[in-house]
Amino acid sequence: MFEVDIFTKKGFKDSRGEHVLSDILDIGIKGLKKIDYSPFYIIDGSINKSEVKMIASELLSDKITERFKVVSGVEDKKYKNSIIEVLYKKCVTDTVSESLVKAIKDLGITKDVKVKTGHKYYLHGNVSRDILNKIAIKLLANTLIQEYKVK
Amino acid sequence: MKKVKALILRAAGINCDYETQAAFEVCSAVAERVHVNSLIENKNKIFEYDILAFPGGFSYGDDIASGKVLANEIKNKLGDKIKKFSLSGKPVIGICNGFQVLVKMGLLPDPKLFEQISTISYNDSDKFECRWVYLKTEKKAKNESNCIWTKNLPDVITLPVAHGEGKFIPVNFKLLEELNKNNQIVFRYSTKNGTIPEYPLAPNNSVEQIAGICNTKGNVFGLMPHPERYIFALQHPARESFDGEYGWGKIIFQNVVDFVK
Amino acid sequence: MKNKISCTNCKTIEILNLSDKELVNFSDKNVLSLSIDEMKSIQFYFKKLKRNPTDVEIETIAQTWSEHCKHKTLTGIIEYTEEKHFKKTKKIYNNLLKETVFKATMELNKKWCLSVFKDNAGIIEFDAKNGVAFKVETHNHPSALEPYGGSATGIGGVIRDILGVGLGAKPLANTDVFCFGNLDTKNFQVPEGMHHPKRIAKGVVAGVRDYGNRMGIPTVNGAVYFDDGYMANPLVYCGTMGIIPKNKIDKKVNSGDLILVVGGKTGRDGIHGATFSSIQLDQESDISAVQIGNPIVEKKVLDTMLKARDLNLYRSVTDCGAGGLSSAIGELGEKTGVIVYLDKVPLKYEGLAPWEIWISEAQERMVLAVPQKNKKRIVELFNKENVEAVFIGEFTKDKKLMLKYNNYVVANMDMSFLHYGIPKPKKFAVCKVKEEKIQKFIKMTSTDLSKIFKSALSDLNVCSKECIIRQYDHEVQGQTIVKPLQGADIEVSGPGDAAVIFPYIAISGTKKGIVLSNGLNPSYGKINTYKMAASAIEESLRNAVAVGADLEKMSLLDNFCWGNPNNPETLGSLVRAAIACYDMSKAFDVPFISGKDSLHNEYSIGGKKYSIPPVLLISAMGVIENVANTVTMSLKNDGNKIFVLGVTRNEIAGSVFAKIKNIKDGIVPTVYPKESKEIMKRIYKAISNGLIECCHDCSEGGLAVAISEMAFAGDKGVEVDIDAIKTKGKLGVTEILFSESNGRFIVEVIPENESKFIEIFKGCVFAEVGCVREDKYVIFESLKNKIKIKEKSRNLLKVWQNAINL
Repeated sequence: MFEVDIFTKKGFKDSRGEHVLSDILDIGIKGLKKIDYSPFYIIDGSINKSEVKMIASELLSDKITERFKVVSGVEDKKYKNSIIEVLYKKCVTDTVSESLVKAIKDLGITKDVKVKTGHKYYLHGNVSRDILNKIAIKLLANTLIQEYKVK
Repeated sequence: MKKVKALILRAAGINCDYETQAAFEVCSAVAERVHVNSLIENKNKIFEYDILAFPGGFSYGDDIASGKVLANEIKNKLGDKIKKFSLSGKPVIGICNGFQVLVKMGLLPDPKLFEQISTISYNDSDKFECRWVYLKTEKKAKNESNCIWTKNLPDVITLPVAHGEGKFIPVNFKLLEELNKNNQIVFRYSTKNGTIPEYPLAPNNSVEQIAGICNTKGNVFGLMPHPERYIFALQHPARESFDGEYGWGKIIFQNVVDFVK
Repeated sequence: MKNKISCTNCKTIEILNLSDKELVNFSDKNVLSLSIDEMKSIQFYFKKLKRNPTDVEIETIAQTWSEHCKHKTLTGIIEYTEEKHFKKTKKIYNNLLKETVFKATMELNKKWCLSVFKDNAGIIEFDAKNGVAFKVETHNHPSALEPYGGSATGIGGVIRDILGVGLGAKPLANTDVFCFGNLDTKNFQVPEGMHHPKRIAKGVVAGVRDYGNRMGIPTVNGAVYFDDGYMANPLVYCGTMGIIPKNKIDKKVNSGDLILVVGGKTGRDGIHGATFSSIQLDQESDISAVQIGNPIVEKKVLDTMLKARDLNLYRSVTDCGAGGLSSAIGELGEKTGVIVYLDKVPLKYEGLAPWEIWISEAQERMVLAVPQKNKKRIVELFNKENVEAVFIGEFTKDKKLMLKYNNYVVANMDMSFLHYGIPKPKKFAVCKVKEEKIQKFIKMTSTDLSKIFKSALSDLNVCSKECIIRQYDHEVQGQTIVKPLQGADIEVSGPGDAAVIFPYIAISGTKKGIVLSNGLNPSYGKINTYKMAASAIEESLRNAVAVGADLEKMSLLDNFCWGNPNNPETLGSLVRAAIACYDMSKAFDVPFISGKDSLHNEYSIGGKKYSIPPVLLISAMGVIENVANTVTMSLKNDGNKIFVLGVTRNEIAGSVFAKIKNIKDGIVPTVYPKESKEIMKRIYKAISNGLIECCHDCSEGGLAVAISEMAFAGDKGVEVDIDAIKTKGKLGVTEILFSESNGRFIVEVIPENESKFIEIFKGCVFAEVGCVREDKYVIFESLKNKIKIKEKSRNLLKVWQNAINL
């Protein structure tokens, strides 16, 4: 299993991150300076790291505005900032992953792969864990269909 | 007289294929909507046509990023044919999602290179924007753009845009300079008077307000606005027309039909 | 024994020996929403069969008999008592809908109504060869829980209604109407477990945007209404209009035809959606009630299905909506009987029990009846475009519903019991008609009037919804020729009254168009639901007429969203609205062609019950003879004259003004059908003759708001002599400016056309009230009362434009 994280390159606008920040201010939570949005993908199957790197560079990231990181297993590196991670619950249809499976085949990788898509939000600033949970529940995850982790 | 044949490429999620077909038909071309699957089955079919159009829509849901999955499919399964078609000088157009596809597979700005060296990214507003805009044509620049699609247009025209990802970004400053130098920038968002606009007249905050580009030869053209939605005066919000009947979009399609003839 | 009920994957439910109380408990525990009478008829039926039902059978009955599928309240028996002026009158309705809404349509008996109240949508004639179909649905409960997914599947569902009408219509336009809580609600005011209205609004809009835009269907008309009453229970209406050849309207199923399911795979999505929609929301509302949509799958189904339709490859079709396969196949096979092999249904993942497969509401699925001879061709056609198409059974002759799973019979019931075995419920309804007293004069200074006027323009229910409209691709397909936002050039805009679609691609060579509009006045309904319904009908027609529609070619859809019908007063208010539908439909000579209701819009928390303010949404559709004869609402040229058509009365109750000033008294705007019908007919004549430059209907906010909208949309100024406006009864300046009397229009006329224009309106109440000014100031003046309001047109535009940002 591999995890691929996508980041906006320096110098390019992270509209989604800015949007989320303004939503957070909107619900009256102060203390955050910046949010970096980062989509991530969990790819599983009989596939090797160089193939995953190819998928990441050809499909998952934009060559001009984004960079990617491939990790074997699941990313668990400690960051100094808080992270909220959101994933669909099991049994909830993940339409992006369906398209992605097709695109991987088009790339010429014929092995069977399973993909899960998720979102990470890196929060810069001082907020308590309670507040992070609140942000997750009120804005970032719908707990009916998604699960979230605060790291 | 020769009947001009246009291929309108269809794929899952493409949804401006009918109006693009209609636009060519108004200009008395024969336009056929062809599914990407049947083109992949019969790769040389493409050479039966004079014009290739990538219409707007949300190919494969724009999952991952706009146009990405279709660009990947075409590049890997039809890449050499599309490249050959483009380099032969036949007209190719990518509108909205079609433009995103052309840029992401690298057919624009340089079909010879055929590598992605620019991108179309999220609007600065982080919103889908459906509105009419002013476009400055590159007439006023020192050298008129050599785009075969946009001859005979005045300095400023209006067309509608409808996209969430329309911000054109070249890989570096050098490429931007080259695009400028080679007159490859065909349309820029502008004010009514042709000056630099602000949001919302600049709907996505594209680099240098770029709304459409072509290759150096001028036959491959991609743009975010929708010329196929302004064929008739009736389609304009205030029903404006240059001749009482047609809209600016008609001229764009007529240009290439006449070019092929 | 082949046909004996048995299976390892399905359970037999012991109900034969249950007591009444145990039957009720059983229904509640399993989220079946079946009443005691219904449970008893099921028990009786199975006693006759001398066996217990399976879980598949019980679930099938619960789905088929659900409020959502059967509309049992509005088609059931209602004993209605009305109290007016201390006098009580009683009336029994055996089927409220048939005796009101539907009755009017039958009596009007329009030749051009091609299919009404029987298929998935109503169809009227477009031209000699084609019809237009229109349907509006509600998707409230799922949207409260998961606003994005809920509204996305709402729009996805109504598009499938249009795909499933006749042998399938091609969708041309979507509409959407939402009711939300107030956006400035404080966080602590939001009930536990609910989302903030802003999050709901954003999510709902994003859901409609992402689904509608990806489908390539323009969202061209709609409304958004804000009131605290919708905080815990938002309303989401989605509509779709489509075009269908007349020879594809009839459908039938023959015994021996195969059952083909196409599109999405089946998962646990939306299990119990149909029964769930008639249950009050609570904090533990179930996850599986939420469906997730995939518009690209639906787009592929649309593209391919219409191809198969034109090749005559199938004989009938319907969509999988509420109740999933159980409703779709149960409906198609009602007259023949069916056998279905549930193990053949393509699944998203393993582990679904047979009953789950059968009632799942997974999205993007259609069911087709295919003659044996087309078996191969149709599957090939779908597969060519990567659409899954699988035969799962056959229509039989025995009028039975037979379901098998891995060769075991898991259900075997009579179609007649399933469709007609439901006992007719009897409900009680009462309505005390409130006395409305005329509001005393409200005297205000020019400065105060100015202030109120701007508050009205920026009121959430009046202000620009541009931030929503622009997120929808309302111009895809290139056929939207009267757009939701209208203006002199692309930098200014005002609210269009109605949208016009010019289907020049779908119907090559046509000059005709289709107009779509709506009417909605929940604030009137808080006082008087009869007037709310009448006003909504009049408003929807007014809106259509304002862009150039012919009243004689209009049709209506009703969508009732109400609270708990078991409460006699709630049901009483609904009965009155239904009576208004009959009265107005007859008076305006405009038929209803389809409708839908969503009851039980109630939310209980901490033991306290919240019920929504009732809403009747009226959606109107009509055919326009020549699209060149349509107008917009923006003022066109300096010096042109402004006329107000219709009477202004002292009708302040329920108005935007009353809300701002917190006024509780007054008279709710009444509809005077005779007056307004005359005006509407003549407006059509005047627009067709090119005598009207622009036209706007006068609704929420009153005259001052409507006239300024025309001014800033045209980037013009305007001056209005308040004293010239025709009134009836006692009114001061305040009432004239803010009263919301129905039946009024404002039009712009070129001086040269004035005499011809006046000739047409002879006999109607109307007056010239001012002119278009080149200096871009909006001025309202009464010399008699020494009142003058003067504002810059562009400033008013900003006030109107910047009130909401979603």
